[in-house]
Amino acid sequence: MSSAAAHAARAPVPDPVIVLRDDGPIARALGRIGAALPVPAAVIAILAAAPVLIFAGSDLSNLAAGLVLVWVVVVGGASSGARRWPRMLWAATPLMRLTEYATLIWIAALDSEVADPAAYALIAALTFRHYDLVYRLRHSGVPPAPWINTLSLGWDGRLILACLLLVLGLVPAGMYAMAAILGVAFVAEAVYGWVVVGRAEPAPIDDQEGDE
Amino acid sequence: LSDISTVRDSASVIAGTPMAGGIGMAVVLATAPADDGRPAALLPWGAGTVVRRLVGQLEALGVERTLVLARPVFQQAVQDAVGPAARVDASAGPCDDLRAIAAVARETAGTLLVLYGELLTHAEALRRLAWPSAGTAILAGGNRRKLVFRVRTRAGEVVSAASPYHRVGRPNATFLGVLRVKPADLEKVAGAADQLAKLAADPPEAWRAELARKAESWRAGAAQTADDDDGGDDVGAPPGADDDLEEDNQPAEIAEVLSEADELRLRTRVAGAPDDVAAMLVLGLVRTGVRVVPVYLRRLFWRRPLSAGTIEQAARRLADFDVDRALLDSSVKGTDGFFTTFFVSPYSKHIARWAAHRGLTPNQVTTFAMLLGTLAAAGFATGERWGLIAGALLLQMSFTADCVDGQLARYTGQFSRTGAWLDAVFDRAKEYLAFAGLAIGSARMGDDVWLFACAAITLQTVRHTAGFSFMVAGGQVTRATRQPPLEHSLDEAAAAGEARTAGQPVASADRRPLAAQVLRSWKLLDRRPAIVWLKRMAAFPIGERFAVISITAALFTPRVTFIALLGWGGFALVYGEAGRVLRSAR
Repeated sequence: MSSAAAHAARAPVPDPVIVLRDDGPIARALGRIGAALPVPAAVIAILAAAPVLIFAGSDLSNLAAGLVLVWVVVVGGASSGARRWPRMLWAATPLMRLTEYATLIWIAALDSEVADPAAYALIAALTFRHYDLVYRLRHSGVPPAPWINTLSLGWDGRLILACLLLVLGLVPAGMYAMAAILGVAFVAEAVYGWVVVGRAEPAPIDDQEGDE
Repeated sequence: LSDISTVRDSASVIAGTPMAGGIGMAVVLATAPADDGRPAALLPWGAGTVVRRLVGQLEALGVERTLVLARPVFQQAVQDAVGPAARVDASAGPCDDLRAIAAVARETAGTLLVLYGELLTHAEALRRLAWPSAGTAILAGGNRRKLVFRVRTRAGEVVSAASPYHRVGRPNATFLGVLRVKPADLEKVAGAADQLAKLAADPPEAWRAELARKAESWRAGAAQTADDDDGGDDVGAPPGADDDLEEDNQPAEIAEVLSEADELRLRTRVAGAPDDVAAMLVLGLVRTGVRVVPVYLRRLFWRRPLSAGTIEQAARRLADFDVDRALLDSSVKGTDGFFTTFFVSPYSKHIARWAAHRGLTPNQVTTFAMLLGTLAAAGFATGERWGLIAGALLLQMSFTADCVDGQLARYTGQFSRTGAWLDAVFDRAKEYLAFAGLAIGSARMGDDVWLFACAAITLQTVRHTAGFSFMVAGGQVTRATRQPPLEHSLDEAAAAGEARTAGQPVASADRRPLAAQVLRSWKLLDRRPAIVWLKRMAAFPIGERFAVISITAALFTPRVTFIALLGWGGFALVYGEAGRVLRSAR
């Protein structure tokens, strides 16, 4: 079976751990690299985040920043397809969250000091989607619609867009705009999901979720 | 009979609580024998009998039809006892019971309830199962109860159940004799009942051996502790998801002499065990892959009397049992952190009761809490000392309201899926809004801490994501739990335990992987309550976080708040990840 056919066969029941990663089309395409590597996804994800954490605070040229970003997208994307050590697959997801948010903060810091609140606004909008991925499935039984993943580009697409904003010198305004557009889209889709799509199999009534 | 009216009164006091409807049919099993050989359901209760009381409770709950199954010789006696409220059918033995239930399941359209006829519990306990959204569920109790069948739950689902003929490995809860089957699962329960009936007619060798082993282990258990296991569970909370207790293998060599009363009680229990078709049905459903959810009894009273002596005891206990108090105590989540448990819940539950009597809904309280949280962020955003203090107080009020909504939902039984979602989303929104407010206020005072705010929101989201991702992965493991066929008496965990003891009686502990050994020692520390609370605090739960925000913001500056959040949160991240990695490696 070709890998495309394999993907199509898997498509109806996506692995929930993978869904939580919020990969975009680019990351998913790069996942084939990871699938061929004999390394667990979490290890690849740590490598993806490493340069961002190492160069935090240092003043890089746009070219160097671009190279770092290419690394983050390519290596992080590769981790989306890695399936070694399945019991530890869950560990890559929080690392990808760290990678995305830390890179956004890093891009804002490279731009100017006034960009920090813009990065906060964008991250806050993204947290809505990332919590909703879990909470909606938990409470309604139906996950957020797949099109909202495409529309919001995935973490990879968003990072590339943020890097473009840096090159164009539009970071604060662009990040605020992204925060507003994405925030409205996420909330609207959630409301649509609850009101129109409704709920599937009910969750247990004794809600004993841990104290979060 | 007297307490039916009191329970109904206390329930009707809770404003806005509809009496649960939607139970099409209840099958009451008046088949278990008491120590005098007559059905335990016919034990006297007030002027009537235990089964009459139960049928009355079901009637009050709005159950449309009740069918009572009794052995042929007692059919008339049971019919006389329940009167016209229910039909009593004769059934010669457990196989006929199962076939009768299969027939009922096939002709009923609504929800089906199968329960012991000799249950002494509050109508409230049954009402929780009558709630329309309950799905297919069992009434579950704590793991320490004796002479009941055990189950193992994981991620809010029963993954293995015991029956007279089946053993469950690593049990962490018990089945309290009430099974609720939602309409969509009726065909499956009928199929399982038919299959079990066929097998029970001539039990396989493994089944017989397991029944004999159970009798032995109950004897040993009864010898160890003579005291009765009545009343609510010790712990108000359901057990932890991975309570790593050994299977119910009490050492069989303890051959203490039992008191005459204990001996009689034990013999009655053993004699009645094969009649327990409710437990068999739970096993049948779980083994055939039906999702069964535990609904915990928590602090309510529950007793299954099998002698006149226990009835008297139970009557005394029930008489001075404060249902409202028990419900209120039960409304407090058992998994909350230290701050929430000791500084908020003790008074927030009284606010919840007040809100219930005022007719407020949990969603109204949730929205009010969000409003308070927004005001708190606005206070922080002023940057002034008065604003920080006001914000700190508002944030605490908001957090209290947040505890109230969940307690209100549990107290009144008003669970709403949208409400639960909104509650979770608002919790995050309040916290991250407070971060933004603090950063804005700090910037206005000339100290830019936006980078700290960005780091704090990232850390907190990463911590949550790690937990979610691990949980989702664990959920897959649950679904993948292989269910052995009905003929097998051991589930996977019990079979593995058996193999360990049989193969390597001495070295079994050393053969565990290192990660499992570390986790086990870590778990053993939980015997000291102080350690449990320390562990929960180390995870930096929401109550602790909000307290840190309020205290540091009111007394110091937003910069101190963020440093404190990052420090404690960073430690919690490492602590949490270490635990999850170990559990994955096990």
